[in-house]
Amino acid sequence: MTAMAGPAATGIDGARFDPSRTEGRGLADTLRSFKVAVLLGWKLEANWTDPFLFFIYSVAKPLSSALILVVMLEVIGGPAGKAFRPFVIVGSALWAFVLNGVAGLAWSVLEDRERYRVLKYVYVSPADFLTVLVGRGVARIGVGLAGVVITLMVGVIALGVPFDIGRVDWPMLVAVSALGLASIIGLGLLMAGVCIQTRQESWSYPEAFAGALFLVTGAVFPLVVLPAPVQIVGLLTPLTWWIAGTRQALFPGGPGSVGGPGSAFASTFGHPDPSAGEIVLALLVTGTVVTLAAVAVFRLSDRRAKRTGLYDRTTGS
Amino acid sequence: MAATMDLVGRAGAGPREAAAWSRRQVLMTNLRSIRGRAYPRVIGLVREPSWVLFEILLPFLGTSAFVFVYRALDAPPQYVGFVVLGGALTAFWLNVIWMMANQLYWEKSQGNLELYFAAPMHFMAILFGMAVGGMVMSSTRAATVLLIAGTVYGVAFSVDQWALLLGVFVLTLGALYGLGMVLASLFLVWGREAWHMGQMLTEPVYFVSGLNFPVARLGFVGALSVAVIPLATGLDAMRQLAFSDAAFPIGTPPPVVEVAILGAMTVISILGARWMLATMERRARRDGRLSVRWQ
Repeated sequence: MTAMAGPAATGIDGARFDPSRTEGRGLADTLRSFKVAVLLGWKLEANWTDPFLFFIYSVAKPLSSALILVVMLEVIGGPAGKAFRPFVIVGSALWAFVLNGVAGLAWSVLEDRERYRVLKYVYVSPADFLTVLVGRGVARIGVGLAGVVITLMVGVIALGVPFDIGRVDWPMLVAVSALGLASIIGLGLLMAGVCIQTRQESWSYPEAFAGALFLVTGAVFPLVVLPAPVQIVGLLTPLTWWIAGTRQALFPGGPGSVGGPGSAFASTFGHPDPSAGEIVLALLVTGTVVTLAAVAVFRLSDRRAKRTGLYDRTTGS
Repeated sequence: MAATMDLVGRAGAGPREAAAWSRRQVLMTNLRSIRGRAYPRVIGLVREPSWVLFEILLPFLGTSAFVFVYRALDAPPQYVGFVVLGGALTAFWLNVIWMMANQLYWEKSQGNLELYFAAPMHFMAILFGMAVGGMVMSSTRAATVLLIAGTVYGVAFSVDQWALLLGVFVLTLGALYGLGMVLASLFLVWGREAWHMGQMLTEPVYFVSGLNFPVARLGFVGALSVAVIPLATGLDAMRQLAFSDAAFPIGTPPPVVEVAILGAMTVISILGARWMLATMERRARRDGRLSVRWQ
C-alpha cells in the first residue's frame, strides 16, 4: 500500500472515520444533489448568453404558437372566435412546460452522453442518478415558466382575453399545477429511460412523443372532435386533466376541453362536463399511475444500461 | 515521382505540378464532393428507419393538431387543405433549419468541420451536397405527409395550372435551400446559440409565414414575409394554385409575381451564401472558432 492511498492522502481521518458516511446522509444528500442538479441545469440552459436574449429565446416559441392559433380563430370564427381565445392561449402557453419537461430530461441524457460525454462521470458520482435527472428536468421546466407567463400576459393585455384575478380558483390552480408538473416530470423520466437505450437519432423522440400528446390532451381543441377511442386515450393521460383543470381554475365557466355533448366523457360518466373535484381526482390517479410506471421503466432501463455498458457508449451524434 | 502519382492520382513532375489542378479536375472533385455529402442523407432514407418514422411522424402530428382545430371551428374544407399543404412544407423548413443551418455547428461538435476545411474542395460543394441530399430526403417526407394527411383528412385539391405549380415548388426548394446555405455559413461562428436560433426560426417563422392560414391575414407583416421568407412566398403561391376554387383574402401577389420573387430569392441567397461563407470562415479562423467545441 502506498502513502498515496492512505487516510492522510485522501483527507479522511482514519481514527475518526465514520463508515456510515459511505452510505450517505439520506434525505439531506438527496436534497443537496437535487439543488445542485437544478443549478447545473439552469446554468447549462442559460449561461450561453445575456439574460435578456435568453428571455427572448425562451418566450418566442410558445408566444408564436399561441399567435398562430389566435389568427386561425380570427380567420374562421371572426369576432365569435374571441370566446375561444382563453382556451387556446392557456393550452398553448401550458404546452411550453410539457415541451421543456418531457424533452428536457431525455435531452439531458443525450447531451451528457453524446455531446459532452460526461454521463458516465455523472453516473458514478455519489449523487443518485434519478435525483440528478429530475433536478435537470425541474430546471428546464423553470425555463419554460417564462414562456408560459409571457404568453398568458400577452393574451390578457394584447389579445383581450377576459381575465379576472378575483375569479381565479386558487386552491384548484395550486393543486392541478403541483400534480400536473409532477406528471410532466414523470413523462420526462419515461422518455429519459427510453433514450438511455436508444441510439444517436433519439433527439427527436421526445418531440414526437410530445406531439402525440398534443393531439390527445385537448391542448388547443376540445377532445370531442376526436374519434371516441382517441378520446379515451386522452382521458387516461394526466396532461388532459392538468390542462382542463388549469383552464377551469383561471377562467371558470369558459369552454372546457374534456366533456361536451357527445363526448366520450359524457357517455362514460353520464354528465356532460367534469366538476373541479373530478378533474383533480382524475389528475391525481392518472398522474400517480404514469409517474410510478415511469419510475419503473426508468429503473429497468437503468439496470439494462449498466449491464450492457450503454452509459459509456457514445454513438456519434 | 511515382509515389506522388500514386498519392494524388495525377501526373506531375513533383508536388507543385501535382497540386496545379486543371479546371476539369477542380470541377470533378467538387461534383464528387456534392455527391459524397448528399449520399448519407439519401442513403439514410433506408438505413435509418427512425429518421423516416420521426420525420414523417412529427410534421404529421403537428399538422393533425391544426386540422382538428379547424374542424372544431367548422372551417371550410379548403382550410384543412391549407394546413395539410403547410404541414408538408414544414418537412423542408425543419430540414433547412436543423440539417442545413445547424449542420456545421453539429459538425464542429463532432470534430468533422476541420476535415471539411482541410479537404481539397470548395466548401460550397459541401453546402450544395447538404442541400441536394436534404431536398431528396425531405421531398419523400413531404410527399408522404401530403399523401397520408390528404387521404386521412379528405383534402380535395383543385389545380388549374400544373406547370406553374411545379415551377413554384422547384423554385421554393431553391430559395429555401439557398437560405439554408446562408444560415449554415452564419452558424459557422456560433456555439450553443445555434440551437436556440434554430428554435427561434421554427414557430415564429411558421407564424409570420402563415403556415396554417392565408398569410394575407397578417397585413403588412404578411406582405413583408412574402418578400423575404421563401416559406411564406412558396406556400402562398402553392395555396393559390392548389386551391384555385377557394376564396382568398386580398393582399398577396398573384402566383406569377411570387415565382419572380422566389427566383430572385434563389439567386440572391446562393450568391449571398458564397459571400457569407468566405466572410464567416475568415472571421472564424481569426477568432479561432472553427475547432472550438461545446461553447
